[in-house]
Amino acid sequence: MHFLEKELNQLIQFWDEEPDALHTLRSSAFKQYKEVGLPNRKWEGWQFTDFSALEKTSYRLASPGDIPPVPETLPTIANCNRILIINGHFQENLSVLPDKVTVQTLQQAYATNPEIFNKAVVNNSNPFHNLNTALMNSGLAIIVGNNAVIDDPIHILYYTTGLTEPIMNHPLFLIVAGADSETTIIEHYAGATNVQYWQNVVTNIKLSNNAVLNHTRIQEEDHNGSHIADTVYSLGKDAQLNAFHFASGSSLYRQNIQVNLASSGASSMVNGLCIAKDHQHLDQHIIINHLKENCNSNQLFKYILSDTSAGVFNGRVIVSEGAQKTDAQQTTRNLLLTDKAMAHSNPQLEIYADDVKCSHGSTTGQLDENAIFYMRSRGIDVRTAQLLLISGFAKEVMETITNTNIDTYIDEKLTTWLEHIGVTL
Amino acid sequence: MLEIKDLHVKVEDKDILKGINLTVHPGELHAIMGRNGSGKSTLANVIAGQESYEITSGDILYNGTSIISESPEERALAGIFMSFQYPVIIPGVNNTYFLKAALNAIRKHQGKTELDAVEFLKLIRKKLAVVEMDEKYLHRAVNDGFSGGEKKKNEILQMLTLEPALAILDETDSGLDIDALKIVAAGVNNYRRDDRAIVIITHYQRILKYLEADYVHVLINGKIAKSGGENLAEQLEEKGYSWLDN
Repeated sequence: MHFLEKELNQLIQFWDEEPDALHTLRSSAFKQYKEVGLPNRKWEGWQFTDFSALEKTSYRLASPGDIPPVPETLPTIANCNRILIINGHFQENLSVLPDKVTVQTLQQAYATNPEIFNKAVVNNSNPFHNLNTALMNSGLAIIVGNNAVIDDPIHILYYTTGLTEPIMNHPLFLIVAGADSETTIIEHYAGATNVQYWQNVVTNIKLSNNAVLNHTRIQEEDHNGSHIADTVYSLGKDAQLNAFHFASGSSLYRQNIQVNLASSGASSMVNGLCIAKDHQHLDQHIIINHLKENCNSNQLFKYILSDTSAGVFNGRVIVSEGAQKTDAQQTTRNLLLTDKAMAHSNPQLEIYADDVKCSHGSTTGQLDENAIFYMRSRGIDVRTAQLLLISGFAKEVMETITNTNIDTYIDEKLTTWLEHIGVTL
Repeated sequence: MLEIKDLHVKVEDKDILKGINLTVHPGELHAIMGRNGSGKSTLANVIAGQESYEITSGDILYNGTSIISESPEERALAGIFMSFQYPVIIPGVNNTYFLKAALNAIRKHQGKTELDAVEFLKLIRKKLAVVEMDEKYLHRAVNDGFSGGEKKKNEILQMLTLEPALAILDETDSGLDIDALKIVAAGVNNYRRDDRAIVIITHYQRILKYLEADYVHVLINGKIAKSGGENLAEQLEEKGYSWLDN
């Protein structure tokens, strides 16, 4: 992928505002990346996804010239603060930010908060993460102050539109929820374009002691978009994370999620709903690290797969030696709507402590014929019966979204999606 | 209303029904009794339109028209209802939503206006009272977390709400304690009308103590071996089925 090297050299050469240390960081991360290249199917944890399509297009980094007129209609979630990013560029004048929340560009964050910055970009075994460090050209640091209670969600909309040639963005988001704070953050990727693009995102989220963070990630990229993401959560003492990952977009999607329960009493709920059709390939790889005692974690991931799409769920819960009194639950359920759709589920538990409560389960199935017949025998037509069953399948996980406006937004997406979906099983 | 003519049915290459003849007129209550495996549930499911059964010969007429090529929903819209022996759990689908969707599909088919949420709630509360069901069951997913008895009551609730012309009750009485049995029977009697017909399939005579059956039929090995009045059920209770085996 020589275009990456070219882009890196240009970035280092022309980005004069950047301190030398950052150039060094970029070069070293790129070197790391180059040593291994992109993951292939022989790699542990990457075997179900083919990334070679990314090498077939020469993407260049988005430049200020790529900002089209801002579309009049953008995806909207009611009652939110908004941070708008178009084709990688922060639209400060179109963003509404609450008090008690500091938003910085990456350069500002590097200058004022080098510690947060450096922690987020440490060398990584994930080559996409290293590529992001080398090429980061977009993103923000969002810092929620200690004790801040932010009522309305902060909606980060990362929108890609009006492209004339293939671009890529390597956004880095640094999110810090201050001690005793309460916030809801929506990280939302969407796009509408006829040109291919590639997002390679790293999101690093730190929950300080006793912080409560609701994090909803919505990935509804255009089908011309490839979306790769590495999302890392670190939880302080008694911190509480409620995360929901909704993915319906992109032809090629891979997200690594890592939750580090790094202090006692932390709890995380990381749930998700993936819906896929056509040739979409949606891959999520989740690691929950129980590092300290008295933490609990819950995962519930559901996939609804139609046409020739594929869904991958690889979930690992690792309970370290000292992490006694851990309570970890993991469930994944796949619903296949056609006989060509594929689900790969691989739930894993690694337990090195003896006083723990852990469970995991995975099911893959089709719509229940008996339930369809039951509904039809009451006068409900086949299509309606199928759609009721599919929404019913999604409901269990949708119910874990606590914010009504976010729930409404995703529910509407699901309903629209279902209207056009093929069911042949 | 219902006319079954020399009906032969196969399930997975096995002959289950071997020539059933049955005529049901409006206002009548027929009881079909028989051992396990005699074909009782197959008969109920075939009338409701379960597609995994293969009709090899014969016909089912409903109001004079053959229904064997009609879909389950077409039959339901035309007024046929089956109470399931094993009511199906539908995770995530709210019981109220489900029943309202079914009722409105039927009302729409009948050219009536669809009920809105408030009108529906008013109606359903009256029906709930008949089967002595708590309103909390409306807010759950269909049959999800219902006890055996509540599931059967929920079937009767659906029958009372959808007001079909022909109700086939497939072992609605099995697994019920005496209180639930009385409630189910009261629901059936509440539904009963001169222009409606009921076919009740059962193992036991006990529910017939609360319902007045016009006819009792005994199904043995895929055929109706004997038909009679209520006293036939009493005979069966006394003597079992074996005296009819040949």
